[in-house]
Amino acid sequence: DRQTLVAVLQFLRRSNLRESEEILRREARLLGDDLGSSVATVASSSSGVAAVAAVPPGKGEVLLGIAGSLPGEGGRPLPAQFYKLLLYAHAFAVGGGVVVEDQPDVSAVLSAYNQQGDPALYEEYYSGLKHFIECSLDCHRAELSQLFYPLFVHMYLELVYNQHESEAKSFFERFHGDQECYYQDDLRVLSSLTKKEHMKGNETMLDFRTSKFVLRISRDSYQLLKRHLQEKQNNQIWNIVQEHLYIDIFDGMPRSKQQIDAMVGSLAGEAKREANKAKVFFGLLKEPEFDVPLDDEDEEGENEEGKPKKKKPKKDSVGSKSKKQDPNAPPQNRIPLPELKDSDKLDKVMNMKEAARRVRLGPECLPSICFYTFLNAYQGLTAVDITDDSSMIVGGFADSTVRVWSVTPKKLRSVKTAADLSLIDKESDDVLERIMDEKTASELKILYGHSGPVYGTSFSPDRNYLLSCSEDGTVRLWSLQTFTCLVGYKGHNYPVWDTQFSPYGYYFVSGGHDRVARLWATDHYQPLRIFAGHLADVTCTRFHPNSNYIATGSADRTIRLWDVLNGNCVRIFTGHKGPIHSLAFSPNGRFLATGATDGRVLLWDIGHGLMVGELKGHTDTIYALRFSRDGEILASGSMDNTVRLWDAVKAFEDLETDDFTTATGHINLPENSQDLLLGTYMTKSTPVIHLHFTRRNLLLAAGAYSSQ
Amino acid sequence: MEPAKMASPKSAPKDAQVMAQILKDMGITEYEPRVINQMLEFAYRYVTTILEDAKIYSSHAKKSSVDAEDVRLAIQCRTDQSFTSPPPRDFLLDIARQKNQTPLPLIKPYSGPRLPPDRYCLTAPNYRLKSLQKKVSSSAGRITVPRLSVGAVSSRPSTPTLGTPSAQTVAVSTKVGTPVSLTGQRFTVQIPSSQAAVKAATPTTPTVQNVLINPSLIGPKNILITTNMVSSQNPATEANPLKRKHDDDDDYDTL
Repeated sequence: DRQTLVAVLQFLRRSNLRESEEILRREARLLGDDLGSSVATVASSSSGVAAVAAVPPGKGEVLLGIAGSLPGEGGRPLPAQFYKLLLYAHAFAVGGGVVVEDQPDVSAVLSAYNQQGDPALYEEYYSGLKHFIECSLDCHRAELSQLFYPLFVHMYLELVYNQHESEAKSFFERFHGDQECYYQDDLRVLSSLTKKEHMKGNETMLDFRTSKFVLRISRDSYQLLKRHLQEKQNNQIWNIVQEHLYIDIFDGMPRSKQQIDAMVGSLAGEAKREANKAKVFFGLLKEPEFDVPLDDEDEEGENEEGKPKKKKPKKDSVGSKSKKQDPNAPPQNRIPLPELKDSDKLDKVMNMKEAARRVRLGPECLPSICFYTFLNAYQGLTAVDITDDSSMIVGGFADSTVRVWSVTPKKLRSVKTAADLSLIDKESDDVLERIMDEKTASELKILYGHSGPVYGTSFSPDRNYLLSCSEDGTVRLWSLQTFTCLVGYKGHNYPVWDTQFSPYGYYFVSGGHDRVARLWATDHYQPLRIFAGHLADVTCTRFHPNSNYIATGSADRTIRLWDVLNGNCVRIFTGHKGPIHSLAFSPNGRFLATGATDGRVLLWDIGHGLMVGELKGHTDTIYALRFSRDGEILASGSMDNTVRLWDAVKAFEDLETDDFTTATGHINLPENSQDLLLGTYMTKSTPVIHLHFTRRNLLLAAGAYSSQ
Repeated sequence: MEPAKMASPKSAPKDAQVMAQILKDMGITEYEPRVINQMLEFAYRYVTTILEDAKIYSSHAKKSSVDAEDVRLAIQCRTDQSFTSPPPRDFLLDIARQKNQTPLPLIKPYSGPRLPPDRYCLTAPNYRLKSLQKKVSSSAGRITVPRLSVGAVSSRPSTPTLGTPSAQTVAVSTKVGTPVSLTGQRFTVQIPSSQAAVKAATPTTPTVQNVLINPSLIGPKNILITTNMVSSQNPATEANPLKRKHDDDDDYDTL
């Protein structure tokens, strides 16, 4: 310890930091043994830290310079205590109110690496561990093999960061082939990081270094590992394990390779058990009961009951079931929701009428599929959405246009100009018709405004607004009554990959390259909530049917469920092996289906936080997932030009939810993908990028024809 | 354009072959052939920029040749300028924590289209109407438009015309604050007293600026405040085209 102090003093002298050196010298002589507090007191004086931080080239780097230069001086490895002191000092500096600029950099740097032994021995350490694991018992081997990947990445990054390029290269060459196949993309990125400077711009790698990789290991396997690593020569690996890995221990049988493979794959390991323990209100909000206006449009032959049927609420299937609160449903006013306007009530009436005529789907009664093919799009179609009543379809394109088509024979009309509006008779009954301009009615309206490809589109539930998000970092709100742009929401400064309106309107969510999802309201120019936590881009964002939760899928291969009320992450689902591109909530709000580039559809139970199903079959990225209106069928569309229908009822029935599974968080997934597959429908060469069930359970699909 | 395989190695120049190999190493197997050209262009431009910067730094430091330190410094400076990366995670967690602490705002019922304040919307007009010269609108084209006066009231008929002053003008000077009748008769237009008597009938450049009002929406009894209406200073100069242009400039200046 004495040596360390001397070394620091030497360094400060070399860097001409006389003041700090004096202070340190004084303090060190004052307190002979108590090394911790002396360094801490140095740090608490602003000059100490600031001076250290002020040495060029960059603030964060100097502190590392302290750490890094010492071994250079005497060839001594830096003792772990000094590293802890630096952390302590930093904490003091922060606590003392000293503003160290680039604080995130500093903390990132400090929590990163210090010299852990001789770089040339890294290969030895790793191969030693490998040997040990391979010689262990079968039941433990699968679990302990989880260690390989995070250890490999961290050791490699450490070598790169400490600028041992050749060692890093040979380390990589030797061991990268041993890793699991689903990590290949990450390894490729890793292979391009050969110098310390490369790491600086790569936020994902920086996050990986600073966050803890979570491993779920049974107690027995863990004891075995601990015993082995605490032997003297493996101390270095033990240090790394302690610093960078979080081992979530559970009591019980070690998991099999199959079980593990189903759950691993994300950039941060698996989810800690307590991450999935919060209560989630997955029930649906009660539909408001209102007097359905009696209109004589009932042409179905029920006219005789039309008039006297005052007991309309009976038809409201949601309200009539139970008058008491569903325990799993959120309170009605948990989050403020817009009130129901008259037009919304009319809409609901239409919805109920259509629901009465809905086709009941099932394994014996599959939906018909109507496919909308976008021709001449030249690979430019990047986003599609269809209104809930299936009257309009919008396409977002790579040439930054947003095009709206009318799917019904009724053309798209915009409101008349102000001059013409002055001429109409405002007292007439059909004034809502008169304000529409028939002269410019057309089937297609093109909306210009974005300055980059449009990656996400979403209609509002009342069909008045359209949202589009684009690579230019903005989300634009368009009016579907005037077909002009109303607002541009600027918050993400990087491409926004997806956006969606809330099922009740007013709120919308967007997710983008800056690794956060934002919740907005149409009348606030800044976001209301920021959901930060993903390690890589947020590629897909969806609202829960009760509008209280938001699911985000990300390129770090996890899905997170966020609470709108307070922005907390209430669920983390890992298991996909590629970036997630599609999410779908079941209509009853209990389950979530997700699809990714690995071609698998995973099914999750939100209440328990478990994976309950895996649907294999697609061979390429799944870009579209949708449950049928009553949740009996799950349709998935993919880049492999197919639409597949899966039996959702069967997939969710008899789930094992005993104490063991809820405690440990994993269940045995049966290999029943083939049983659940109800049909595969191929297009000639059109990848499917959107699916939509009409109110009567007809399946609409959309994609752009690609001539290959 | 259809994606195609890599260009055949035999015919491509060495640079292109290297670039194709880099793409292959990074796992990109399908790309349009022009991608290689774009990448090469970018690489060339980037490297020349860096080297030029490095030359400047090394000459500033009075070195005889460019060395690695200069290049490193050049890269660093350029990185902060041209290539930004998203904010770091702890920063995001910090601002998220701050933002998520505020409760969700309550929603006012029945507030029409819920949009942000007009400043943040794109709904403002981005045009102005040009002056109506020789506009053969429904009435006789003699229009006098007075200068802005606060508290001015004029009632307009339902037809979108600015009527002639000659017929029923009541010359009112607002400085005196004479009340103007608000009855449903045709209209009253104030004219600054300086011009009132003399040139009431002269056709002056009827400049209408920023007609934000839809006349049809204003009933006969409505109070209308018209803004930014410029009167022609010299009614007699109306015939002079130069002067008219000057008036136009005036119009823009007053806005």
